[in-house]
Order: sequence, then structure tokens, then C-alpha cells
Amino acid sequence: MEAKEVFDELKTILVTRLKFDPRQAVDLTLETTMPKGVDGSIGLDSLDFIELAIAIEERFGIVMDEAGDLAPHFASFDTLSRYIASRTAGA
Amino acid sequence: MKSVAVTGLGVVSPFGTGVKAFWEGISSGSCAIRPITLIDTEGFRCRIAAEVPAGIAGSGRRSRADRMALAAAREALDDAGIARAERADAALIVGAVGGGMLETEAWYWQRTRAGAAPMPRALTSCFPSSHADVVGSALGLGGPRETIVTACSSGAGSLALAADLVADGVVPLAIAGGVDALTRICFMGFNALKLLDPVPCRPFDRERRGMSLGEGAAFVVLEDPQRAKSRRARIYGELAGYGMTGDAFHVTAPHPEGEGMARAMRAALEQGGVAPAAVGYVNAHGTATLQNDRIEARAMRAVFGEGRVLVSSTKSMIGHTMAAAGALEAVATVLTLLNELVPPTARLENLDPEIGFDCVPHAAREVAFEHAISNSFGFGGQNVTLLFRRAA
Repeated sequence: MEAKEVFDELKTILVTRLKFDPRQAVDLTLETTMPKGVDGSIGLDSLDFIELAIAIEERFGIVMDEAGDLAPHFASFDTLSRYIASRTAGA
Repeated sequence: MKSVAVTGLGVVSPFGTGVKAFWEGISSGSCAIRPITLIDTEGFRCRIAAEVPAGIAGSGRRSRADRMALAAAREALDDAGIARAERADAALIVGAVGGGMLETEAWYWQRTRAGAAPMPRALTSCFPSSHADVVGSALGLGGPRETIVTACSSGAGSLALAADLVADGVVPLAIAGGVDALTRICFMGFNALKLLDPVPCRPFDRERRGMSLGEGAAFVVLEDPQRAKSRRARIYGELAGYGMTGDAFHVTAPHPEGEGMARAMRAALEQGGVAPAAVGYVNAHGTATLQNDRIEARAMRAVFGEGRVLVSSTKSMIGHTMAAAGALEAVATVLTLLNELVPPTARLENLDPEIGFDCVPHAAREVAFEHAISNSFGFGGQNVTLLFRRAA
């Protein structure tokens, strides 16, 4: 799957699973950051990240190992889309 | 209580995911009780249980029990053909005990024994109420939501409460069931109580030495019969009544005369307006502990008369699935009536003379009945009997 397609899926997940306002999802760009407290971010907290990780694993059929540091991948939509695209490419 | 229609079934059992695998397993008298792989059993007297095989759907970030509940509930809703829009008013009632304890235990052991600081994520799903949260949110169930915790009768109690909500017109439909995953605390606790047989359990056998543990999940869709008919839903059968009683006797032991059990069975029959003679089959609690089987038989005798009904124990094949048992056995009872086939009690070689009922040894038997009951008795004397009627 291409990073662009992954990005679209992530926007859908944000609305259906994390209950974001659909209008908010439209305004997202690849550069939008994720974690709460980071400049210009959509403000995800730790529970949001758990829900997001579950949704990603179930939607894309990948397993994200917590033994590794996942934080860099969850920095922005760009990093996350690339990460998921690279993981699904190998599948 | 007015009867309610059973229009959807969903199961995750030690025979795998799906109602089909479950029915094939129990109707063929297969045994899913094997050496435990999920937890370390080194040094324990009993080292077997009926585990759900690998391949449960859903992210590994969810607890094992949440995944089983989700898969079973999804199957039941799909089976009943309940579309997303109809789910907005549907009630969700879940019988649960262990919650996400399996993962919580692993987290705690890692933290205290390995000295590591594992991710606290496991703790978000540790409560028994987690299943209702996960299932309700994922499947869009917007009506009343309850978790029933009455030990081994939790799964049956959830169906009873859901039936009331539907029969009283509070909701047009409800999804109800039970779930439990194998946990260390349950395995070690029952080992310590010396209630586990080192070999697969033998309900009603005079050589029985205790129960086998199991795990799984089952859900049913309960619906107003008129609503079910008007949308031309497939009706598996009817939940025609239930009885719920408390022994108020002892923390683990049932009342020696089975007084509370008998009252639960009588209450279910009375509520459904069904005479004891109209019941052909009892899906027994049948745990294979020395006490339960003898006392349950005594209670059945008091209600139905000596040897008047066929009796079998699903636990002889899938073990005691704790909070899931009442729901899994409710599905078994509905399918027994529908398919006119009574699943057997596996490995029953020498019937305990104190039992005094035909317990359908080894092989399933073809018999048609109008009514059957399913018994579930929890620790502390928390008794639930569900009465089912064959689909008209």
C-alpha cells in the first residue's frame, strides 16, 4: 500500500475510531503532528495512541512490537504513513 | 416474562472460532481438553485445560478475552442480520469474571520478577467491564450496557437480564453472552482448592475427580418475537423463562440438598408456564466435582422426578469456561432443540449410581423435544436456569 493511501485510511480511523470531527480530518496534512503538547498537533494522548495502534493493527494486519521504540513513527502523519506502508510492503 | 426469540448465535470455543466448529465438536463428543500452553503449569497437580486454539481475530493489543468476546459478538450480530443502524438501540449484556487478568498477570510478573518496566497498556483492559466497552464501541451498540459478575453463572445471568429488557419492551433487541479467558489466578486457585482433575474431567462418572478449566465466549441475539417475524429473521428458538436464586449457604459449596438449584429450575418453568413433564433435556452445570454433580442430580430429581429427563454436560468436552459457560451452554441447548440431537457426556464410563439419570454417554442421541433447560451454578450458590423452547 502507498503512503498516500495509508494516510487516507488513517484519516478514516481518526473519525470512526477516535471520534474526531470529520471536518477536522479534512484539514489534516502529512505534516500534521500527533502527540499532545507538540506544536500544531491533533493532540493525541496515551489512550488515543492505544486505540490508534489497535485500529492500525486490525486494519493493516501488521503487528507493532512494543519492545522497539514506536514514538518516532507516531510523530506525524507522514512518519506513521511511511512506517505502515513499509510494513505492509513486506507482507 | 414473555418469550423472546433467539435470532443470532456467535461462539469462540476450544473447538475454534464459530458456531459451526462448536456444534461439530460437542455433537461428535470430541474432547478439547489438552496440556496448557498459555501459562506455566510446572509443579501443578493438574496441567490441562481446554484452550481456544490460535487464530482469534483482532489486534494482540486487545486482551485475549476482549478478542474472543468481539469475535463471538460480531458473529452473532452478523448471523442475525442486524445492520449498523439497528444497533443504536440494542442492549449489550456481558457475563464476565476474569476480564483482562491474563495480560494483567503477565504485566505484574514481568514487573516484579523480571525487574522490567513493561508498558502499562495491559491494565486498561483488566476489568470485567472492559468486554462490554470494547464490544459495544467496536460494533456500535448504543443501548443499555451491563456486566454481570456472578462467578460461573455470569453468562447465563446475562441472557436472563437481556431477555427481561426485550420482553418488557425496554429495547427491541439485545445481544447477551459471556466470556472468560484462562488465567493464572483461576488455574492456580482451583488447583489449590483441589477441584481440578489431572486428567480430562468426567462429569457424572463415579471415578470423577474434579473439573477441567476451559475458556471461550458466546453471544446470542435476543429479539421481540413479533419484530423477528416481521423482518423474517431466522428464529433458532425461544428463551421462554429463567430462574435465578441464591443459596445463602457457603462461599464455595452448594447447599447439600440442592435447594437453591431446584428453586432456580422451578422458577424458570413457572415463568415459562411449562410443566416439568414438558421438558426433555437438561444441559447440566455438570462440572464433574464430587459435590456439584451429586447435588445437581438431587435437585433435578426433586424437580423432574427420578430419571425423567436426559442430562448431559458440555463441560466434558470444553471444560468449565467460567463466565462463558452459561452462554456457551445456552447456545448448545438451543442447537440441541433445533437439530433434535442431544450432545453426549464424553468419557462417561461408569455412571455414579447417585446420579440416577441417563447422561447420554459417549455419543449424541437423536431426540426431539419441545423444551430444554440449561443450568449454571456459580460459587456462593448463585444459581441460574434458562428455559428454551424449540422454534415453532
